[in-house]
Amino acid sequence: MTKRSYVTVNPCIMCQPMGSALAFKGIENTMVLYHGSQGCSTYMRLHLAHHFREPVDIASSSLSEKGAVYGGRENLKKGLRNVINRYNPKVIGVATTCLAETIGDDVPAIIREFKEEEGIGDDPEKDIIIISVSTPSYGESHVSGYIKALEAVVRKFAENQGEERAIKIPNGKLNLIPVESLSPADVREIKEILEATAENYIFLPDISETFDAPLRDDLPKIAPGGTSISEIADMPNSRASLGLGIVSKNLALEYLEGYYGVPGQSVPIPIGLSNTDNFFTELVNIFGCPIPDKYQAERGRLLDAMVDVHKYLYGVKAAVYGDPDLVFSLTTFMLELGMHPVLVATGSKSRDFGMKIRQIFKEIRPELEPMVLDGIDFDSLNDAVSDCNPDILIGNSNGRYIAKARDVPLVRVGLPIHDRVGAQRILTVGYKGSLELLDRITNTILEATDTFTAPVQAEPAAYASQGTEEECME
Amino acid sequence: MKEKAGIVDTLEERQPYITRKQEKGQTIPLACDNNSLAGAISQRACVYSGARVVLNPVTDAVHLVHGPIGCAGYTWDIRGAKSSGIETNRSSFSTDMKEIDVIFGGEKKLSNAIDELVGLYHPPVIFVYSTCIVGIIGDDLEAICNTASQNHNIPVLPVKSEGFKGNKSDGYKAACDALKKLIKIPPKEVAGEKKPEVSPQVRNPKINILGDFNVAGDVWLIKPLFEQMGIEVIVSMTGDSTAKSISRAAEADLNLVQCSGSMTYLAKWMQKEYGIPYLSASFFGIEDISLALRKTAEYFGSKEMKKKAEEILETGTNRIMPEISRVRERVKGKRAAIYMGGPAKALTLIKGFAELGMEVVIIGTQTGQKEDYEQISYSVRNGTVIVDDANPLELAELLVKQKADLMVAGVKERFIAYKLGIAFCDFNHDRVVEFEGFDGFVNFAREVDASINSPVWKAVRQRTLKPEAMELKRAAVKERISGEPHAKEYKNVEDMAVEPEFLHPNMDAATENQVFGEASR
Repeated sequence: MTKRSYVTVNPCIMCQPMGSALAFKGIENTMVLYHGSQGCSTYMRLHLAHHFREPVDIASSSLSEKGAVYGGRENLKKGLRNVINRYNPKVIGVATTCLAETIGDDVPAIIREFKEEEGIGDDPEKDIIIISVSTPSYGESHVSGYIKALEAVVRKFAENQGEERAIKIPNGKLNLIPVESLSPADVREIKEILEATAENYIFLPDISETFDAPLRDDLPKIAPGGTSISEIADMPNSRASLGLGIVSKNLALEYLEGYYGVPGQSVPIPIGLSNTDNFFTELVNIFGCPIPDKYQAERGRLLDAMVDVHKYLYGVKAAVYGDPDLVFSLTTFMLELGMHPVLVATGSKSRDFGMKIRQIFKEIRPELEPMVLDGIDFDSLNDAVSDCNPDILIGNSNGRYIAKARDVPLVRVGLPIHDRVGAQRILTVGYKGSLELLDRITNTILEATDTFTAPVQAEPAAYASQGTEEECME
Repeated sequence: MKEKAGIVDTLEERQPYITRKQEKGQTIPLACDNNSLAGAISQRACVYSGARVVLNPVTDAVHLVHGPIGCAGYTWDIRGAKSSGIETNRSSFSTDMKEIDVIFGGEKKLSNAIDELVGLYHPPVIFVYSTCIVGIIGDDLEAICNTASQNHNIPVLPVKSEGFKGNKSDGYKAACDALKKLIKIPPKEVAGEKKPEVSPQVRNPKINILGDFNVAGDVWLIKPLFEQMGIEVIVSMTGDSTAKSISRAAEADLNLVQCSGSMTYLAKWMQKEYGIPYLSASFFGIEDISLALRKTAEYFGSKEMKKKAEEILETGTNRIMPEISRVRERVKGKRAAIYMGGPAKALTLIKGFAELGMEVVIIGTQTGQKEDYEQISYSVRNGTVIVDDANPLELAELLVKQKADLMVAGVKERFIAYKLGIAFCDFNHDRVVEFEGFDGFVNFAREVDASINSPVWKAVRQRTLKPEAMELKRAAVKERISGEPHAKEYKNVEDMAVEPEFLHPNMDAATENQVFGEASR
């Protein structure tokens, strides 16, 4: 491996504020404002628009040199005022950037001041709710930005409720909180499963519509959809919280448990057989509901497909990379299929990642020795790929350079996917999503190894010496 | 009630930035060249982005971003600037500053990073970009770069592009300042021999093309035209350039400036420093290509060269004209909206659209200056809306009100157009085919045709399925089915309008609601 200690080459993570947008954009009627310089919002809008192929409006406090020297108070207030004026949102998520953090703006205090000046109260029924989260770009990654923003959201409603929090009105619902941003298609699938099992649920954050909006008769300023305010406010009253993802800490779920006593349980993102089984089992445990026939059939179809493809996939060496919990679940699935994940990597720094990955290998295929890396960039991934020599890469589109250079096929999953269409519709969760993923992986391998289709001599001249067509028929 | 005095409904402070074409001789009442308004959702990026887009096409340079990971991550290989050789520029290098670096300073990490990169890549030059945070914690980029230059004997050039210290234009300047340091004094200058002020009969004429970034390979369609005229193109800045080719730039007799917004500053400096004059030029569209070639031949003054230029223009034009005419028949009379980063591209697009028989109804830029907008106003037809530093809501409303059929802009604007059911052409980083030169113009024309004349726009006019409207055509099927239909009867055929209202807007106050929906108000 190329030894590098100081320089990052081709990053495998994005910065915290971007993660916060992925969370905030899943809340109904919400605008996001980055407190920092103009470029942050534009770059992250570009990044997200490219991936989801949707307009992505994110405001900026557009800090200038003056703001940086004297503080960003006036810019932030002006930004908030203008966003309210033009977009009339119900919620504004304010995420800080490195600039705002380093000049030391006290964002919660500025927001308090702003609310006083504008006469904005704390009544979620009628007042605009402004949620701030501290997400300097120099801390952790987009994954932590996402997690922190979700925590800030549930915290905000707790603050607003104040003393009333002691009085809980059980709603019998399930809080469903993924620890990483899922694709809109994944969110839709999980909601469908919940509707058929738990019936009453609150999914936070719901980007299924906001980042995959149908063409409508009008162009709303803020894409419709997302978890509603009343739902979020109702989360403390839920029967339980189910977190998707077990590598990263689910701060929102922990907060609901610690502060309100909502029992919380985290399961892996339901990709693959055992992870999806796990997910359904938890739903049954929590609600005592039966597993609907539809899903038994889907499970059966997945099993059927796993049997159909087992010989194509056995021993196929895979390198998988991306956000920690996605990678964890993908790895589990590949092990179940008989594949050999030789390289398992994430861009986030995470001590738990290696431990959890090794544990799953131990459970399913103890004889295999994977290379497990965290905190990687694509340059070190490239080195690792050359050491491990996989047959297939599975991860986001930034692995395309490695795939092309080494002539190894790439199955695109995760974020970002900038070089293909349909990122917002990639389904990997549930039995159905696992089946789709299985088909994609298998067909990619078949496509790459298919040398039989083109005959050596394509022209029928080879038959010439054997007589004419009529003679042959006799 | 808010007063709706302006062309579109927007923030009061934004109103001065939107106007219409002015009568000849009148100054344009358009505010521009200011920092973006907080909360207005500008489409602009920052100082760093300006510097990065200008310098990034330098192919053999290491572009090291001193800052947190985001700044490098979002700019990794996002500009489709092609290279004929090495592609070091397509990798993203960052010092990935963490909290500890912010507290204790990032100087040590930066200088170690530079050492490491020199060892790994042996680049001929390193550009070190400063980001917001560097400007705040005060790392001494200049000192570190100077030391590294001496230690490694290559130019390690600081690019002062702290995101908040101005806007994109300031980033262009920072990039040019770095380029200046790469340009070497030409041999004859060293000997103390000053070039004549104007050199009409230069033996081996040499030029630089400033402000062409070789997106999709544009430069490769332009360079041969000059070479056929007997002119050597020393370097195109910065498309497909190298540290070495840039260093030779001062040997040129003339600079042709295409992207005026980013490169006029450098051209002026080269004129002052080395006595190299510059001409503005564009290589997009038949008219502007012709102008560029004729101007250049005129400058060098050789009869032979002028003749050659005419030959090239005649051959090229004749070659592409059948295809251009074919497309023209298919797109003429359509209405275009232009929203560009810089004014030069916006201006040349006006002519390009005219060559396709199209008219421009909206034109805007992120970084235009007063004189650019004067020229834009002079070049467009009456009624055209001119806008500086527009935001998504303004653009959406303008597209509808001005009844645009096609928008030319970048990725962020693309989906605004698409959601409104309007054709789109990417003239930014994302395009994969050349738009410059004769063949480039054919590519452009074809893309405009493909987008405008796609059948999808007809399909998206009906955004909800109205079975009752479909049934009218197929009454026969219905009759063959016995029993009562379950569906309720629709009484009013008028209710079954197939087109969304906002595609046929009135120019009154109700437009806003039609565009953006009552719900969002």
